[in-house]
Amino acid sequence: MATAPQFPGLDFGDKFRFWPKHNEKIYERLEAKHAWIEEKRAAQGDGGVPATEWSEEDPLENEMILNMGPQHPATHGVLRCVVKLDGETIEKAVLDIGYLHRGIEKLAESKTYQEFMPYTDRMDYLSPYSNNVAWCLAVEKLAGIEIPERAAWIRMIMCELARISSHCLWLGVGLMDAGAVSGFLWTFQQREDIYSIFDEVAGARFTVSHARIGGVASDLTPRSFELIRAFCDSFREELASWQKFLNRNRIWIERNKDVGRITKEEAIELGMTGPNLRGSGVEYDVRRFEPYLKYDEVDFTIPIRDEGDCLARYFLRLEEMEQSIRIIEQCLDRMPEGPIRADDAKQAYPSKDEVYYSMEGMIHDFMYTDVGTQAPKGANAYHAVESPKGELGFYLTSDGTGRPFRVRINAPSFTNLQGMEYIMEGSLVADTVVIIGSIDPVMGEADK
Amino acid sequence: MPGTPVNTKTDNERELNFWENLYFPELFKGLGFSLNKITDEPTYTLQYPEEQWYPPDSYRGRPVLVEENGRPRCVSCNLCARACPPLAISMQSQEVDNVKEREPEWFEINMLRCIYCGFCEEVCPEEAIIMSKEYDMTFQSRDEAVFGLDRLLKPKEQMQDRLEYLDQYKNRQFGQQWDFQQDNNLHSVKDQHFLDWLADEGMKGLKNTHLRDDPKASSGEQSWGSQREEPAFSEHAPE
Ligand code: SF4
Ligand code: SF4
Repeated sequence: MATAPQFPGLDFGDKFRFWPKHNEKIYERLEAKHAWIEEKRAAQGDGGVPATEWSEEDPLENEMILNMGPQHPATHGVLRCVVKLDGETIEKAVLDIGYLHRGIEKLAESKTYQEFMPYTDRMDYLSPYSNNVAWCLAVEKLAGIEIPERAAWIRMIMCELARISSHCLWLGVGLMDAGAVSGFLWTFQQREDIYSIFDEVAGARFTVSHARIGGVASDLTPRSFELIRAFCDSFREELASWQKFLNRNRIWIERNKDVGRITKEEAIELGMTGPNLRGSGVEYDVRRFEPYLKYDEVDFTIPIRDEGDCLARYFLRLEEMEQSIRIIEQCLDRMPEGPIRADDAKQAYPSKDEVYYSMEGMIHDFMYTDVGTQAPKGANAYHAVESPKGELGFYLTSDGTGRPFRVRINAPSFTNLQGMEYIMEGSLVADTVVIIGSIDPVMGEADK
Repeated sequence: MPGTPVNTKTDNERELNFWENLYFPELFKGLGFSLNKITDEPTYTLQYPEEQWYPPDSYRGRPVLVEENGRPRCVSCNLCARACPPLAISMQSQEVDNVKEREPEWFEINMLRCIYCGFCEEVCPEEAIIMSKEYDMTFQSRDEAVFGLDRLLKPKEQMQDRLEYLDQYKNRQFGQQWDFQQDNNLHSVKDQHFLDWLADEGMKGLKNTHLRDDPKASSGEQSWGSQREEPAFSEHAPE
């Protein structure tokens, strides 16, 4: 009997067992990390011995490594925080992301620009409409497509609704993290109303996929106008009642005040974006500094706070919701009648009337589905929008076919997470949930 | 100036006065807020399986095929399968002897893959596949989730709501006007009227197979396969 040949590579050992190696690396990184907090303590010169050396017996005063997540309800999805505790203080923290990685940047390369749109819904799944719009705007910039005015106004209304919806979730979950479970239900009721609007406008409550390259998919029905107006009125009242209740609530304020503080310089250096950046006093909002759609034509303010802690971000987000309502109302008043997609078969789908009843229309329909928008060869474009979480941008490279050569997504949750290790270090372990809530990352977007 | 950044901080928003600092009143205020919601507001939720939610016409439920006069409207052009992002649709075409000439022999949508995006409806040149209002589907096995013609076909009459919605808000011509007539859509050599007319004119029917000389004719400039080349870098997007 012949002996089995000795294949050198049959036992791969731990070569392909990703997890243990990864885990080891995480702990290594935690150990090797430069804990600025020690340095700070030394610089402040309180000169005392580090807590760990005080006592050998009391476990609370010993260092401990704690894994929070990935399946932790307060981590907003699947974020794993490995923290090294010194008593109750977090000395070092390492974040481990990637538990929701789906590789959508790579997926985009095998999809036409139009086909990729539903995938953007699933990035920041708390405000899918903003992602749709960000993607469409980037492609439109790349291919030089003009969208009709009505489509721009529709997109704006829906984007602002998405912002409110996302902030409602942030508030509800924030309240729940801080112990007020029923608060979650009140904000979710408002989100439900927004979902009904999305349902009426786009046809789906969650994954809307309503924006299209060159415009939007369908026109607003009279009922959706009614719903949006009714929501604006009722939400104003509801928001006021939340403010009345929370703004002077000792429990809420003490839970948030001076927690998770980032100074202006730190915020810029860490690359924070969105409300986290504005909460630290940096006046940056893409809607104002690089107005897209019709944001330069409506009147609204951008709330700013200087303190940079969770409380500042709370006030700021509540005010942002107010401003969103203002924007929506102006959009409703100013929305003109007109086409909802670009009237050029190389840039957007023709209307179905045309497809059904004319030969050219049908050919356009087939060509646009199969080949899609063809951006010029070698074109590059970056377009960012102010999504509820911050600056959401798509960088596209075209090779002249209907599919992007490369897509790079600048996701606000990902950038915001960069600052989180830094913020967590030095805070109390009980505050982590509040901090995560207040930074408001969405893992679908951070992991892409 | 639109979008002015303002620090809207009010004076004492971060400081509480003595009364607000008392702990217990806050607890009761919180309870009061919830109680108020419980008593004053009408019930917002549905007792789901007993009470069913009826979606609006714009709702994108599971895709169905429209059946008209006992036949599917579908001409099996495969465009929906091409447009479907998660590749949920597959079909086999066959030739039939009516005006439409083609029909699906079988047509399958894998409902486990479908993401209810509505792209199939949006691209279909025959309005043959549309989104229904059905949203609660359960399967006992994976095979059961692959819907064939038997479960996909729905008579046109049952889908009137959706068809009307599409007609009103989705299909409307927005650009240049065409003179639309339903007949424009028939380009068939199996149309009996057309054949009769040909016979009247003294022609004996048409050959209905046309082979292209060069089936692979294309400029050959763009590669769609795996060997895609990176384009030359240019600094700016074209305006
Ligand atoms: S696009 Fe319409 S006509 Fe074509 S195969 Fe699909 S359902 Fe049939
Ligand atoms: S709804 Fe979307 S995913 Fe479902 S079959 Fe149609 S195109 Fe495919």
